[in-house]
Amino acid sequence: MSEIELEEEEYTSQITFPVFKRILGLLKPHWRWLLGFLLAIALVSVLDSLFTYINKGIIDQGIMQRDTRALYQLALRYGFWQVVQAGMVFAFIYLTGVLGERVQYDLRKMTFEHLQELSLSYYARNAVGRLMTRVTSDSERVADLMTWGLLDVVWGATNILTATVFMLIINWKLAVIVFAMMPLLVYVAVQFRKRILLEFRTARRMNSKITGAYNETITGVRVIKALNREEQNLGEFRVLTDSMYRASYRAAWLSALFLPAVQFVAAVVLAIIVWYGGLQALRGALTVGGIHAFVSYVTFMLWPVQDLARVFSELQRAIASAERIFTLVDTAPEVRDRPGAVPAETLTGVIEFENVDFYYEERKPVIRNLSLRVQPGEMIALVGPTGGGKSTIVNLLCRFYEPCSGVIRINGRDYREYTLESIHRRIGMVLQTPHLFSGSIRENIRYGRQEASDAEVEEAARLAGAHEFITGLEKGYDTEVGEGGVLLSTGQKQLISLARAILARPEVFIMDEATSSVDTLTEALIQRGMGTLLRGRTSFVIAHRLSTIRRADRILVIEDGRIAESGTHAELLRLHGHYYRLYTRQFRHELAQQYGAEPALA
Amino acid sequence: MTTTSPLQHPVDLRRTLSRYRLAGLWRMMRGFRGPYLGATLALALSATSKTATYLLLRYFADMVAGEAQPVLGDSLTQAFAWVALGFVLLALFEGGFSFLSGRLAAYTAEGIARRLREYLFDHIQRLSVAYHSHASTGDLVERSTSDVDAVRRFFADQAIGAGRIVLLFGINFAAIYRLHPRLAWASVLVIPFILAISVWFFRRVSQAYEAYQEQEARLTTTLQENLSGVRVVKAFARQDFEKGKFETENRRKFLRGRKLIWMHSWFWSVSDVVLGMQMLGGFVYAALLAIQGVITVGTYLAYVGLVAWLIWPIRNLGRMIVQASTGLVSYGRLVDILREEPEPLEEGDYRPSGPARGAVVFENVSFTYKDEALPALEGITFRCEAGQSVALLGSTGSGKTTLVNLLPRFHEYTGGRILLDGVELKRYPRAWLRRQIGIVEQEPFLFSRSLRENIAYGAGREVSQEEIEAAARAAAIHAVILSFPDGYDTLVGERGVTLSGGQKQRIAIARALLKDPRILILDDSTSSVDTETEALIRSALERLMQGRTTFIIAHRIQSVMNADLILVLDKGRIVQMGAHETLLAQDGMYRRIYDIQTRVDAELERMISTGALQEQHTPTLSDISHV
Repeated sequence: MSEIELEEEEYTSQITFPVFKRILGLLKPHWRWLLGFLLAIALVSVLDSLFTYINKGIIDQGIMQRDTRALYQLALRYGFWQVVQAGMVFAFIYLTGVLGERVQYDLRKMTFEHLQELSLSYYARNAVGRLMTRVTSDSERVADLMTWGLLDVVWGATNILTATVFMLIINWKLAVIVFAMMPLLVYVAVQFRKRILLEFRTARRMNSKITGAYNETITGVRVIKALNREEQNLGEFRVLTDSMYRASYRAAWLSALFLPAVQFVAAVVLAIIVWYGGLQALRGALTVGGIHAFVSYVTFMLWPVQDLARVFSELQRAIASAERIFTLVDTAPEVRDRPGAVPAETLTGVIEFENVDFYYEERKPVIRNLSLRVQPGEMIALVGPTGGGKSTIVNLLCRFYEPCSGVIRINGRDYREYTLESIHRRIGMVLQTPHLFSGSIRENIRYGRQEASDAEVEEAARLAGAHEFITGLEKGYDTEVGEGGVLLSTGQKQLISLARAILARPEVFIMDEATSSVDTLTEALIQRGMGTLLRGRTSFVIAHRLSTIRRADRILVIEDGRIAESGTHAELLRLHGHYYRLYTRQFRHELAQQYGAEPALA
Repeated sequence: MTTTSPLQHPVDLRRTLSRYRLAGLWRMMRGFRGPYLGATLALALSATSKTATYLLLRYFADMVAGEAQPVLGDSLTQAFAWVALGFVLLALFEGGFSFLSGRLAAYTAEGIARRLREYLFDHIQRLSVAYHSHASTGDLVERSTSDVDAVRRFFADQAIGAGRIVLLFGINFAAIYRLHPRLAWASVLVIPFILAISVWFFRRVSQAYEAYQEQEARLTTTLQENLSGVRVVKAFARQDFEKGKFETENRRKFLRGRKLIWMHSWFWSVSDVVLGMQMLGGFVYAALLAIQGVITVGTYLAYVGLVAWLIWPIRNLGRMIVQASTGLVSYGRLVDILREEPEPLEEGDYRPSGPARGAVVFENVSFTYKDEALPALEGITFRCEAGQSVALLGSTGSGKTTLVNLLPRFHEYTGGRILLDGVELKRYPRAWLRRQIGIVEQEPFLFSRSLRENIAYGAGREVSQEEIEAAARAAAIHAVILSFPDGYDTLVGERGVTLSGGQKQRIAIARALLKDPRILILDDSTSSVDTETEALIRSALERLMQGRTTFIIAHRIQSVMNADLILVLDKGRIVQMGAHETLLAQDGMYRRIYDIQTRVDAELERMISTGALQEQHTPTLSDISHV
């Protein structure tokens, strides 16, 4: 359980009709299943009451009247309904369970697919962990409420209702007494549930802290040893385990008290029945079987009461989950196709920024009044301090974001008049931290163009300079990269993401160069791959390496959202300005590397 | 000798280990055996009270039917009142004992879980660096949390739950047996069969459930990769592909869930019929006995109540048994960790009263990592006087880090001798030794707590705010800390600020200053920080090194030049040794490195002044091949 989930569980919502109606709407396509399981469970519960009633018959008509034939008849009925009930049990478990899985599936599909449409700005505002809970635990909680929760409510309600009807039939006065006790029973149960839930949440929060403490201690074990912190650490850890112990012990014994408490209320009812019912029986107003039926009904009623309590105590949180899901799917993507947008034929023309302003938050401008004209085939290197706005320029160009004011033109036309898909399809991108997906290397390269043949994939890898290392691996192109590519080195991941971009045959190429150092051989391979990729293409590179910068037709120094300096490498160096200051030290390093000094020292 | 004194842990769990898991669990329960037996006893009393309720019902019904005489009270009216009171009292007993049992079981389970958590935590932090360098963090954390929880559930739910079912069965069977022996036997005909089926079923269902959870994990991975790679997805316009991928995993989870449900539907409905028929058979038999007058109507009523508690819980016994066996597996996984030998921190016969002076001598020291054939260090011999500085130079894997790791006894040298102040290192207790040594790593590990706590982390005493600030100032990090809104209370990590490599290093320097060690180990890497920070760190380091024996793992000639002794390492051996001037005069690796760096500086100067970088060659594959 993550911190986020724990945090979100704190929010509860009032049960409002519109939300509830909308939740019910989720079940609409599956109304047959819903109807099926509701009928099945209602029948199960009616039959439960019926069994007790038949038992009454066995006593009153069979045993008391010493009538063996009546006994056999009743037994036959009992057996028949038992089989029917088992069938219904099968039906309700299957229908409810599968419907639950199905609603979960629907919700996951709905939230996931909507997330695919949302703009990058949405992702910037919402942490990945938070978004994940929409698709996973929120969906699960809502589905659970709509199926098992609903089942419990219907089962409980029918049970109490039918039992009441049967009791009314047997002896209405006694039935009224029993019924009067019900609210108390439910109240006690719900109160208990709420307290228990509270303690459980504390315990879970402590548990996540304990997990964190383990994690940190194990990763930082060298520091702990070096600083002789063992004793003190244990002391601090004990504070955590103490609170964990207290919360879970309390939750456990409250749970242990829960049933006895409810049972005791029932026992009082039972005592009343025995005493009052006994007197009635003496007057002939009630049979032995009748008393027994009452005792059974009251004893049995404890279960539905418990289940109802469970559902009601969790209802608010489930509603809050539903609200969060609805908020997500109601969010409209900020960047989307305008009405009448046309596919861009090509991106190989002039790209132009005109007085572009951009901010994520009002009054905190990230890009200010930026104008830029890029000729087809030109290579632009963007350099400058972190947070200066380099990435934002690239994001604007990709139309992950749109300018807040000003225009970006491609082929002389405002790029918002084109469809998003047609722009994205023609842009190739290599990110600073290459993101790979679990699967084989081949699958990852093919991500660039799904319909590419194996030969094309290999060709792309060859051009990117990745082919050599891939074929050197035991399974070659079928090597699994692991979750997020963990099984490969950073350099290898970069080469694969290059190959992926090459395979996409983009018209405009964007690269956010990695800052992390890779070994010299890989570095040379990357440079060569880039050379292939950049040839004849308009490209924007957020550059960190001397060799890349040297290759650029134009270097833009971006600072505070503006172009501070612009020119070729030699021109900028001679200026002795920002560029000079930024780069002399790094060049020293890189040069040393070129001469082979660094490998000996690193 | 154990490292954990009895004072620290009430029970030394390492001593409770046994070849048999159940025996180990039993021995681990020390201090909780009484309560747990108490819980079982209370459970039995509660079950007995429940049974007694039905026997009271029998008596009551017989009175109503005129087959029994009131024992208490003169009239039936009075007798009924007594019976009613009896019901309430029995309910009190039943509930009271059931609560007591639950509470005692919880006391035991939670207590044992806490004991395990604390012991494991302490044990893990005392395992050697060698162990930790091979162990996976995720696996250790998983065991310390999930497996501990499984053991907790073993005591809280499964063992006691299985006990409850067995007790219910035994007591109610005995009660029915007393009413009518043959009726008792007739009531349990299908029990062995159902028990076997339920064990078989729950074993299968737990496998199916595992498959379901595996699929859930896969789905989560797909989701996470998609969300964190959203830029890639968008950049390649692969939304539809991603939807398809997610759909596959999502559908697979649905199908596995459906399979699970399918299995449950069959088990519960089929067992319902079987057990229902068993109940009915018992009812008919008992009713016939009642009609024949062999038993009273009250007995029949009691039987109807009792038999339900005999039959229905049996299905869950299978579940308890299967789950308990997974609890035992978890316990076994914890035992694996506990069996590892912790590092004895206080072991050693030489413990000086004052601090060390810091004279270090290596005599033909060699070291081989466990499970490795080739030695990582061989024939290392050098001496350094107290307060001197030793610089280590060499490529990755040359043994620099391994060498300094021998000083705090993170690893034990396998050959030769290391002397500290003339006494062999192995005679010093590790804890004492580590107090004499300060380490500043290349990427120092900071804890996710406040900056203040991070600085004071290793001082081993109460430190005042003034001292902390003084250390931070000397480490040139004070101004940075004040620039954060929360100052020294700023949290590090996920919930707070992310510090740059250079900032972390300066925090570590402040930490080392507060610790005030006699020997200092520095991993001097300033390659990832800008020029200004580098100067700050350099002067902070110089302050830190004053008057201490210092070992520097160096990456650049500049940080080596002033050292009293320079060791040039290659493949675990010292290839050159001496001061800067001496080494420069020799024809060797040191001079080669020096020459290259000087050439680089000169070249850079020339390029900048002429702007001639454009003509420089780009590295090509042919250049690289001879590196």
